[in-house]
Amino acid sequence: MGDEQMERDPAEDERGIRGIHDDAARDGGSAVNDVEGEPEPLTAEHPRVSGQDDGQSDLLKRILSQHSRDKANDRTKTGAFPVVRKRKPKALSSNARSLKARFGTGVLIAVLCALLAYAYVIQINNKDTAYETLTETELTRLISETSTQVERLEQRRSELTNQLKSLEEAADKEAQAQRIAQENEETSGILSGRLPAQGKGVVIRISRPQKAPIDAATMFNLIEELRNGGAEVIQIDNVRVVTSTYVSETNSGLVCDGQTLTTPYVIKAIGDPANLANAVNIAGGVGSRLTVKYGANVTVETSDDVRITATQPVMKYKYATIVE
Amino acid sequence: MAAVLGLIIGVVVGLFVRPDIPVFLQPYLPIMVIAALDALLGAARAYFERSFSDRVFVISFLSNVVTATLLVLLGNQLGVGSQLTTAVIVVLGIRIFSNVSAIRRYIFQG
Repeated sequence: MGDEQMERDPAEDERGIRGIHDDAARDGGSAVNDVEGEPEPLTAEHPRVSGQDDGQSDLLKRILSQHSRDKANDRTKTGAFPVVRKRKPKALSSNARSLKARFGTGVLIAVLCALLAYAYVIQINNKDTAYETLTETELTRLISETSTQVERLEQRRSELTNQLKSLEEAADKEAQAQRIAQENEETSGILSGRLPAQGKGVVIRISRPQKAPIDAATMFNLIEELRNGGAEVIQIDNVRVVTSTYVSETNSGLVCDGQTLTTPYVIKAIGDPANLANAVNIAGGVGSRLTVKYGANVTVETSDDVRITATQPVMKYKYATIVE
Repeated sequence: MAAVLGLIIGVVVGLFVRPDIPVFLQPYLPIMVIAALDALLGAARAYFERSFSDRVFVISFLSNVVTATLLVLLGNQLGVGSQLTTAVIVVLGIRIFSNVSAIRRYIFQG
């Protein structure tokens, strides 16, 4: 400790001073001795005093010697003051210090050290920065830093918002695409005969012909007439009529898509019932021809709920591809 | 012995008791800690020099803390608080370094 050092140095100085003083004291002592041992100066100073009676001269001598001794003692030539020796009594007192006092200072030291450690730990754990201790420049820097960070965060937020929006749009688009695909699937499913269908339409029954077996061309004609009449879905017996459906004649009768048709032929068609009925029953149309030429009985029933349950497997396109 | 015991007690108490530091004390607490640390290291040096005096230690501890705090307080009132804080910390830091080097010389004899 600097203080300790400081204290030590004066001690050395003190010792040095004491040494000087000791010399001075010795000098003083010798001076006194000189005065006492050699009365010559005294007689020289007061020549007449020694000539008077012994009692008076004795008294005078004593006074003079005392005076000179005082003078010698009061001499201040060395510049040193009488030193009160502190060192020894101090050491004595420290040795003789009571156990109680020693214990007291020990406790005091412990308390001070505890305070130091306590303050240190508190200061360490003091998480919230004390803005009071910051200087103006530091505060300005802090504010600018904070505002920069805020700006950056805002920018980031807007970026993320845009991203979210685009993602939502994409999701919307996807949902729409899915909806369209579903619609397409339904319509194309009905069109290609993949899905069963129901709706308003007609059911045509052609009984066994009396005059001659019905030929394929006539049957196909009927289908074409129904299509002209706006039929959306057609079924002959248990065969779903699609774009690739064919009708041919064999010995055992009519064959449609590889399936033999048996009389009475039941043809179901979904579409505008009136139009479809007209398409069959029109004068000079397929219906009259069947009746007149083949002697078959043709009945056309309109219904609000024609169910067409027959389906065709999906056609695999081998050669045709979509034009990009 | 007492000092080490006191340090340990202080750390333990500080870990468990967390009072809110009063606002007026907040700028001075670090300075106080540094000043007290300087006093403690000075005491350790004196101990190694066999000139340790508990009385001197207590007085120097308190005077160090009070002086440092008053200096910073004065600086705050004059508007040079941060500069004076830095000055006090620099001075105390130099003293701590010199004390530590003295202690090291006594421990390692060189």
